[in-house]
Amino acid sequence: MRECGRLRAAPVIQSPTALVRMGTMFKHLRSNDAGDPKERLHVLADEELMHLVYRGDATAFEVVYDRHADAAFSLAYRMCAQRPLAEDVVQEAFLSLWRSRARYDRQRGSVRTWVLGIVHNRAIDALRRRSTRDRGLVHDEGIAERLVAPERTDAEFARREEAREIRDALEQLPDEQSRVIELAYFGGMTQTQIASMLDTPLGTIKGRMRLGLAKMRMTLGDPAEVVR
Amino acid sequence: MSADEDPIRSDDCAANAAPYVLGALGEAEYDAFRTHLETCAICREEVAALQLVADALPAVAPPLSAPEELKRRVMAEVRSEAGWQRSRAPATSSPRARRRWLAPSIAAAAAAVALAVIAIGGGGTSVRVIHAQVLAPHASASLRLTGGHAELDIAGMPQTPVNRVYEVWVKRGSSAQPTDALFTITSAGRATVGVPGSVAGAEAVLVTSEPLGGSRVPTRAPVIIANLS
Repeated sequence: MRECGRLRAAPVIQSPTALVRMGTMFKHLRSNDAGDPKERLHVLADEELMHLVYRGDATAFEVVYDRHADAAFSLAYRMCAQRPLAEDVVQEAFLSLWRSRARYDRQRGSVRTWVLGIVHNRAIDALRRRSTRDRGLVHDEGIAERLVAPERTDAEFARREEAREIRDALEQLPDEQSRVIELAYFGGMTQTQIASMLDTPLGTIKGRMRLGLAKMRMTLGDPAEVVR
Repeated sequence: MSADEDPIRSDDCAANAAPYVLGALGEAEYDAFRTHLETCAICREEVAALQLVADALPAVAPPLSAPEELKRRVMAEVRSEAGWQRSRAPATSSPRARRRWLAPSIAAAAAAVALAVIAIGGGGTSVRVIHAQVLAPHASASLRLTGGHAELDIAGMPQTPVNRVYEVWVKRGSSAQPTDALFTITSAGRATVGVPGSVAGAEAVLVTSEPLGGSRVPTRAPVIIANLS
């Protein structure tokens, strides 16, 4: 099984000194202080919540879950195309996130990126465990309509707009480049499997992936600014 | 690492950066590229640039709402583990109480344990896979040992009843020592659970069904027994 965040840079275990420093920084954020803990937690940034999660605060973890579960499930379902498998992937990913919470390092990216990285890796594991024969045969047709997430807040509206920019950037690529990116990222296929399926030299597949991603980066400017 | 030892030749340098950030490398390619990254600044820079785009790709997925039932399952497990860790204190059960539980169940089960040990690889750290006895029909479990660390891989296992979780124990001598590992089974009947700490010197790794939050002393007979001896 791929480790949490395996496709990211190597996970960094926070040093005891850094954690003590963070403990001082976030001392005022203890969720068991007076008042409604969950209400107060909702105003905290993800990174502040993760400090509480690091100390085993399940309520803080629930807020993190609430913020990112829809995106996690959307990605898992896009990859797995089956609701039970997508649910298993998300369940495994969040429990893995809870159990490996000491590995979160804010210097390496946002909590959302970390969560989705774990979901992506778990979904790849799940897809590669399935036999080629099983792939794509059973899809939950109609689930997308039943579970479409409403735009409830301005933040969600803004996120949809950002998503549209990224989708447009992918769709603007030549078909052969967008296809290899989709087969790899959402299909969980290895470059060798893609080369075999498309009957194309492996070097060409690598080149299409690189060109496609590089063009998307140029189109989007700094994607880190688009996806916060 | 010298250039001669690097399996990724210089003319391939950075060619795997895009497949790497997209998750499209096979296991062996992945390991080789990770090793290569440690010494190649060009590839690290390429990965950092392309990773930004790969991190944006989840936004392409059509937005869906995660099912409420999924949240209930995840948070039940999280709260169970959080509560158990908070309430965790040095074991207070008497050795007699533990022996009373262990003596009949383990002794009886040990006679029926189907044990298979496979040694994998050579040279570096050896890996052993132990096929454990599982009481549930059609279920299977194996314990993968690397050095002193162990990971349980379970398949075909029934889910625990509501308000119960599975708990991993390490048997040393006549006592079963609780671990931090509480887990539930996926809808596909699977679970992969790391056994916290070292199992060096332990006799067996056990799994029991316990109340939410886990127990400090087993309350039920084990449903999985992986005998290490």
